[in-house]
Amino acid sequence: MTRGDEFRKCLVGENPVAVLMLGLCPAAAVSTRVIDALWMSAGIVIVLLLSSLCMSLIARGGRREGKELRSGAPAGRWLGALAISSCMTASFEIVLLAFAPEATAGLGIYAPLIAVNCLVLSGIDASSRSDSVGGSLLTAAANGIGFAAALVVIALVREVLGAGTITLFPVAGFSGTIAIPALSSDPARAFGLAGGGLVCLGFLAGAVRAVRRRALPVPPAKDGLT
Amino acid sequence: MSWVSIILLFALVDNVILSRLLGVCPSVGAPGSMRTAAGIGIATAMLMGLSALAAWALDTLALGPLGLGFLRTPAFVLAVAGLAFSLEAMAARVSPALVRGAGFSLPGAAINCATLGVALITTRGGYTAVESIVAGCAAGLGYLLVTILMTAIRERLEIEQVPRALRGLPLHLISAGLLAYAFMAFDRAFIARMLGGQ
Repeated sequence: MTRGDEFRKCLVGENPVAVLMLGLCPAAAVSTRVIDALWMSAGIVIVLLLSSLCMSLIARGGRREGKELRSGAPAGRWLGALAISSCMTASFEIVLLAFAPEATAGLGIYAPLIAVNCLVLSGIDASSRSDSVGGSLLTAAANGIGFAAALVVIALVREVLGAGTITLFPVAGFSGTIAIPALSSDPARAFGLAGGGLVCLGFLAGAVRAVRRRALPVPPAKDGLT
Repeated sequence: MSWVSIILLFALVDNVILSRLLGVCPSVGAPGSMRTAAGIGIATAMLMGLSALAAWALDTLALGPLGLGFLRTPAFVLAVAGLAFSLEAMAARVSPALVRGAGFSLPGAAINCATLGVALITTRGGYTAVESIVAGCAAGLGYLLVTILMTAIRERLEIEQVPRALRGLPLHLISAGLLAYAFMAFDRAFIARMLGGQ
């Protein structure tokens, strides 16, 4: 599989959020503002890449010494994966607090929770079984970008409909907030609530499933409506 | 804050799944029978109570006084995971049949953002040791309630005619969203009214 195919697969075909249903909690919780979604995406991508790199190198070192990580005790493997992901997450939190304290406030408890994100832990587990460091980094990057794409789409829908704005990074002269004229005065606030996150996530998953089905037609099920 | 307020707050008002959006995958997504869902809920509830206490102890007795606050995340994650593995090992020793028949693993509950999330919320909220364990158990009770509700909804949805693209997880998520809107009836004013006896 080429690099392009890997990225295409993770963006739509096997999107971590919309298809594989990994990392649903931050996707539903940190998607009320686009800027928070971007920071969370950055956190997931960075932690996923660093953790995968770390685990790949450990697994390669183990293989050189004739030890297979995959044959180790499950408890040890899980604790190892959790130790790596939590250390990488703590490092990300420290850097974020130093350079963008407002982002730390926006992410709240969801920044430390990157350590137990299903996508990150499954990425680390896959890296421990991968034979190539480059290959596991490529898969991690593709999965991270797939997650980021889904998160930003959900955040865009929720913020535009729920607040009538799009919040981005403030740069010289630009406040960072774009107000949508027809919506900002009378938004559908339900989209900004916790239930709105879950509903948007459900409809995104349904939409991606419909797109996949159209790309790869399958015979209709007997009991379903089309 | 009184214990009753803490219990109502963590179980209903700030429900860990429907308000905080933590532990969505195992409660909404995981297929299973009502028995398995109740088992997962009870195990997670127990673990949440113990994790909240462990996080309080770590934060108040070790990390805070030593100025090692930046190590909270790895310390909490490893403490919760260690607790889960220890509890499972103890349960396997006391009743191997119970662990085999439960249909889930306790460490799975540790690798669940709801457990760590509750530990983080209680330490950040400045609760005492007893308040932390009460809050953890109440959050677990809320988790158990929503897991059972979602399993019941899932069982009903399986026999309904629904659009194919939405069948399964997408519809479970939408149902969870609607349930979250319904849970908004439990707000802080509701607690005040209940405790005020109005």
